[in-house]
Amino acid sequence: MSAGEVGRGAPPERSTSEEPWPVRVVSQKIGAWIARLGWVWVDGQVAQISRRPGATTVFLTLRDPSADLSLTVTTNRDVLDAGAPELREGARVVLHAKPEFYAARGTLSLRADEIRQVGLGELLARLEKLKKLLAAEGLFDRARKRRPPFLPGRVGLITGRASAAERDVLTNARRRWPAVDFRTVNVAVQGPSAVPDIVGALKVLDADPAVDVIVIARGGGSIEDLLPFSDEALCRAVFACRTPVVSAIGHETDAPLLDYVADVRASTPTDAAKRIVPDLTEEVRLIGQARSRLERAVRNLVDREQHRLDLFRSRPVLARPQVMVDQRAADVTALRDRAGRCLEHRLSGATDDLRHTLARLRALSPAATLDRGYAIVQRGDGHVVRAASEVAKGDPLRVRLAEGELTATVDG
Amino acid sequence: MTEKTKDEQLSYEQARAELASVVERLEAGGTSLEESLALWERGEELAGVCQRWLDGARARIDTARQKPEE
Repeated sequence: MSAGEVGRGAPPERSTSEEPWPVRVVSQKIGAWIARLGWVWVDGQVAQISRRPGATTVFLTLRDPSADLSLTVTTNRDVLDAGAPELREGARVVLHAKPEFYAARGTLSLRADEIRQVGLGELLARLEKLKKLLAAEGLFDRARKRRPPFLPGRVGLITGRASAAERDVLTNARRRWPAVDFRTVNVAVQGPSAVPDIVGALKVLDADPAVDVIVIARGGGSIEDLLPFSDEALCRAVFACRTPVVSAIGHETDAPLLDYVADVRASTPTDAAKRIVPDLTEEVRLIGQARSRLERAVRNLVDREQHRLDLFRSRPVLARPQVMVDQRAADVTALRDRAGRCLEHRLSGATDDLRHTLARLRALSPAATLDRGYAIVQRGDGHVVRAASEVAKGDPLRVRLAEGELTATVDG
Repeated sequence: MTEKTKDEQLSYEQARAELASVVERLEAGGTSLEESLALWERGEELAGVCQRWLDGARARIDTARQKPEE
């Protein structure tokens, strides 16, 4: 579709190097193209307002809430006063406008015929809606959250320049772990440039391989001040971060959406410092404790076993082995004594017997009779002759006297 | 492997267990003089092994404790 007519004959369909279009034609065509957008409702944040006294036209710079983009808005003072009285910089507005190409200087701006200031209520309502949306998308899922390292090599810190939050995080972390290494990126922590600054800082720190955890810290502030920390683009950027993110925004009670999407929610900057680094003195104490318990346990074991060994060694069978030998020696001596006693007993018995039998022998023995002059006559066969009839004449006889013997023969 | 080194191979628990049984048998009595003497000698050997294990353990603890902090 060719551009609209410009008074004289329509310019040729296409401009060529031989027949170039004059500036007026080009700017007119641009104007036409731009006008094609028509009326739009625009959501943005007022970065600047310039109201020159007496002038009917007011110029605004409108910024995108998340991106680093802005447009100039021209409007009539009445429109402004009607829709958004005492509009301040940083306010969130919704305006009804159409793009206008100001041919004279070739500039573009939005011509607004209605401006409404977005009230806090409405802003919070939008925030709730966004919260549900992000939750539904799973940006808040606990399972997706990553645990920051117990001891980070380097901590990325995104906070306001020389802010209380920055001081709290740095001093507390250093007190706990003096060797902690920080890489701080200072950003605007409220107003229109907050979100783009923070998102930019996130990208830088996330790309730094040495950074193991990123802390976004801001002190307390009004609800408006904290709104950037519920911004959708920021939440998605944090969610996309590979490095774990700790959110430490405002006071304990503040809970911007960043708290839900971050890997760790710290209630305050100081709390964040406590969560990202261990307490050195505490860790040293714990290690010391562990070492002493280790030593105690192993020493107790050795002492207990030593005690048991000593018990064994003190048992008589081991401690005084002589007992075994003495015992047996005692048995032997006892036996020997008994043997001795038996012997004596028997000997004396025997001697008594001997004496008796000797006595009896002697009593029976003819010696005494022989002494008295008698003699024992025996026949050849040894038979003691008691009667003359037992022998006959000529029998040999043996006559035993007290001393010696005789042989004789029977005469008759 | 001589008797000595075989003993040194005994773990502390094995040496102590055998020592316990030697003491039991000695205390039960009824063993010959020769056996009792042999048992007693065995008991002393085993007690020596156990003591060396414990002294070794104590020494290791002490050296570990004195190792300068890395």
